[in-house]
Amino acid sequence: MDNACESPTEKGGETRESDEPTAAPGGSRVTEMDGIPEETDGDGDGELKEAAAEEGELKSQDIADLTAVEREDSLLTPAAKKLKIDTKEKKEKKQKVDEDEIQKMQILVSSFSEEQLNRYEMYRRSAFPKAAIKRLIQSITGTSVSQNVVIAMSGISKVFVGEVVEEALDVCEKWGEMPPLQPKHMREAVRRLKSKGQIPNSKHKKIIFF
Amino acid sequence: MADEEENPTFEEENEEIGGGAEGGQSKRKRVFSKELRCMMYGFGDDQNLYTESVDIEDLVIELITKMTRKAKSIGGSHGWVQVEDIIFLIRKEPRKFARVKDLLTMNDDLKRARKAFDEANYGS
Repeated sequence: MDNACESPTEKGGETRESDEPTAAPGGSRVTEMDGIPEETDGDGDGELKEAAAEEGELKSQDIADLTAVEREDSLLTPAAKKLKIDTKEKKEKKQKVDEDEIQKMQILVSSFSEEQLNRYEMYRRSAFPKAAIKRLIQSITGTSVSQNVVIAMSGISKVFVGEVVEEALDVCEKWGEMPPLQPKHMREAVRRLKSKGQIPNSKHKKIIFF
Repeated sequence: MADEEENPTFEEENEEIGGGAEGGQSKRKRVFSKELRCMMYGFGDDQNLYTESVDIEDLVIELITKMTRKAKSIGGSHGWVQVEDIIFLIRKEPRKFARVKDLLTMNDDLKRARKAFDEANYGS
């Protein structure tokens, strides 16, 4: 699945560690363990650059895995072989694209101004507290939920906030006003997103055909 | 809108169903105030936010509530909320879908890496 262009994921590299991504797997990977990306761990205290370095190292581990698999290929039928080569090629192409993206992000972030760096840090590090989300979900379901559900829901909420804020900034600009955003911008943004179908509204069943 | 001031009890009901984005939040404590401020600044808002625009929290809670309910109804006989149901619900929204996919993949990678790290540590 392609990454949405407005939401750079962890694959976007941070600054200053551009020599990390192709380092040897195994030994050196262990030293990067404390750079836990903050998205999955809301109170993670890893540095932003270490997060990207770890992501790059995990990728190089995948490349090492590929060579071990080649030996098994000779046992497959031609059709299966072709399928396997196809998926392998796609995987390699995807890795190359990811590496390009990491490099581009690194260049971009290294040229940020102070205020932009600050905002970018807030963008990456802000997250909903897992405990509160878990409590909320459990109060609705009545049973306990797995950790993955909490992770997924926190991620969805953050993207949702992003969509609303971006739409509200568009509205604000369109009306010729300046940020900070006011409630009226947000309400108009929500109204627009609703008409686009981006906000779930389960109360009214749409009747398409009479 | 004048309706909201006239029916306070109606608004309290609406909090749970999630109908009132504008009204009814005076009774509920702000759970996500701090995080929301950081998040909105990160997404492009100004540093000095209006206090009232943090009523986006109601929208977030409404979203979570609706999705959880839907996922529970999709779940079928056991009625648990599972990740697969949530992924099914957002299949039509590309950004959310991509984001959840990335998060879960990353989580798996991290768990594997941590496990390998622990084993390496244990061995030595």
